[in-house]
Amino acid sequence: MSFSSENADRSWVAQRLPSKDDQAGLLVLPGLLTYGIFMLYPIMYLIFLSFTNAGGAEDLIRGTYDFVALDNYGRLVQDSQFWTSMGVTWLFVFVSVVLKIIFSVAMALVFTHDRVRGKRYMRALAIIPLGLPPVFTITVWRQMFSPARFGIANEAYINIAGFLGQNPEPIGWFFNRWMAFASYVITELWLAYAFMLIIIVSALQDVSGELHDAAKVDGAGYLHRFIHVTLPAIKRPVWFASILTGATSFQQFLVPFIFNNGGPSRYNEFILLYGYREAFQSPPRMGIGAAIMVIALIFIGMFMWINVRKGRLAEGLSDQ
Amino acid sequence: MSMSKSILGDLKDDIVHGAKAPIRAGREVIGTIRALRDGRASYREVGLTAGATLGAIVLLLIILFPLYYMINVALAAGTGAASLYEEGFFASPTEYNLAAFEWLWYDSGFFFRPNYQEAPTVGMWEAFTGSFLANSLQLVIPTVVFSMILIIPAAYAFSRREFKGRKPLLYGYVLLTQVGGGISIAALIAIYVVFNQLGLLNSFLAVSALYAAGAIPFNTWLLKTFMDNIPESYEEAAIMDGASRWRVMWEIVLPLSKPGLAVVLIFVFLAGWNEFILVQILLSADNHPLSVGLYRLIDEFSTPWGQFSAFALVYALPVALIYFFSQRYVESGLSFGGMEG
Repeated sequence: MSFSSENADRSWVAQRLPSKDDQAGLLVLPGLLTYGIFMLYPIMYLIFLSFTNAGGAEDLIRGTYDFVALDNYGRLVQDSQFWTSMGVTWLFVFVSVVLKIIFSVAMALVFTHDRVRGKRYMRALAIIPLGLPPVFTITVWRQMFSPARFGIANEAYINIAGFLGQNPEPIGWFFNRWMAFASYVITELWLAYAFMLIIIVSALQDVSGELHDAAKVDGAGYLHRFIHVTLPAIKRPVWFASILTGATSFQQFLVPFIFNNGGPSRYNEFILLYGYREAFQSPPRMGIGAAIMVIALIFIGMFMWINVRKGRLAEGLSDQ
Repeated sequence: MSMSKSILGDLKDDIVHGAKAPIRAGREVIGTIRALRDGRASYREVGLTAGATLGAIVLLLIILFPLYYMINVALAAGTGAASLYEEGFFASPTEYNLAAFEWLWYDSGFFFRPNYQEAPTVGMWEAFTGSFLANSLQLVIPTVVFSMILIIPAAYAFSRREFKGRKPLLYGYVLLTQVGGGISIAALIAIYVVFNQLGLLNSFLAVSALYAAGAIPFNTWLLKTFMDNIPESYEEAAIMDGASRWRVMWEIVLPLSKPGLAVVLIFVFLAGWNEFILVQILLSADNHPLSVGLYRLIDEFSTPWGQFSAFALVYALPVALIYFFSQRYVESGLSFGGMEG
């Protein structure tokens, strides 16, 4: 799809009907107002909250709180848990995104390959995970990583080790900091590949067959063709999807929440989970929680901005 | 509604086409064998194709193993298995029983208020109104209605009209399409306080409106890009014939954006049906939907797998089916504008 209709000169229809078209703005208004009331206003309020020392919601209703300026932020910077959360969240973003790209591109190449029959059906099956309720899939994944012997991950591990003549103990996936982290990464990979697969497949289908054929005639091997014909064609969509999926990883909440609450001992508490816990624990610390969420939102905003800027998504939209 | 009719028609075509796939594959295999015999095809070519296809199938099986495991979990319900270790999938047929489904119907709170059986002091309808299912429907239906009302006119205006502030607005929407549900989780603290102050806690409609709000930027943008791809010549012709703009919208643009509308409908429905973080904070326990009901079955150390499976199966299956049969729309929806190089 292109932005042909986004060009500065509006369409023939619009030009031909110079009616009071500003009325059309009214069509956008209800949605905009709803978004404003339910999302933008709370975000403003969140920023305000982050400058107060509010504990629970009652404090805010009764007005029993003080304005403490940047105090919450200052305390966060000195809190080791904040840095742990930040670090583990970003590590998760990088590790999971790299794996997601490699995995999704490889899959997309297989499921669009000329020699593979029944591609369409395979793709239809491959993207099923997108349509399942996360609370269900994540719970089943948690079961697979069960530290007990009958967790499927442990079973596989023990069987493979047994095959190699070893007799190891089952892994306590959620009791070990890095094992828990690894289990999050594997799960995220499975939850997210379908989305990337769809995007990359649609990009691959646009790669001109003629170019490939020409390269073939010139005697270029598969790898050569991949690097010089396929990659340039899918570079942008892959890049785009990577930032999108990076944002998704950054906002991962459910997997640590359901697996082991970001454990062991808060090592894997991703940033949103950290903010959520501070705000809704007992006793609640909404001011601190709000400050954490504001910081998270700044990063989320960065993801958005990079993608729109670099993805040239807004071509013809902005005046630059 | 001609629109739903034609969607159903598409769906029927898809299903028929899918059902006939084995026949087509069989014909292709027979044709290939004949061609090999007659020397019209080279063994090397056929071998490569068969090998590649086999490889792809193996890859698919590896990816979908968790899915198989999930189906396994769901079928464990039939055995009432307490743990997954008691094989649900390979259980001997005599081991299957309906205990878990009986529990689901009577005691789980899925269809009827919990403990409705023990003291049936209320009628069936009354008991249904307090169930997880009733709560889910009370959330999802308004969510879908609100979203469609808010999204369709806006998408049309962005796609076909010029008005003050169109560009900056569109730019803002594009920005907001670039993130998932993280914004609402980040804003949850403030949403909770604001709802509390306005007395909106525990209101289904308020949560539905919140869901709808969250769905607006992405889906408006999605539908707009769909509409952008509808050739304008139809509208031009209609306008030449003196049709009003509104008639053009109703009778030309909307019917032609059918796939886009289907995608938006599915996305919005899925969002409302699956969400369970916000809802736990914003609604009280009596009003929790199915997603939270399922979550509540999970215990730190032991999950009653038979019960969990039965619940999950009935909760997830309809959604998975809707999603699966609408894939052609979802695919075109997700690979929307700006994704291509």
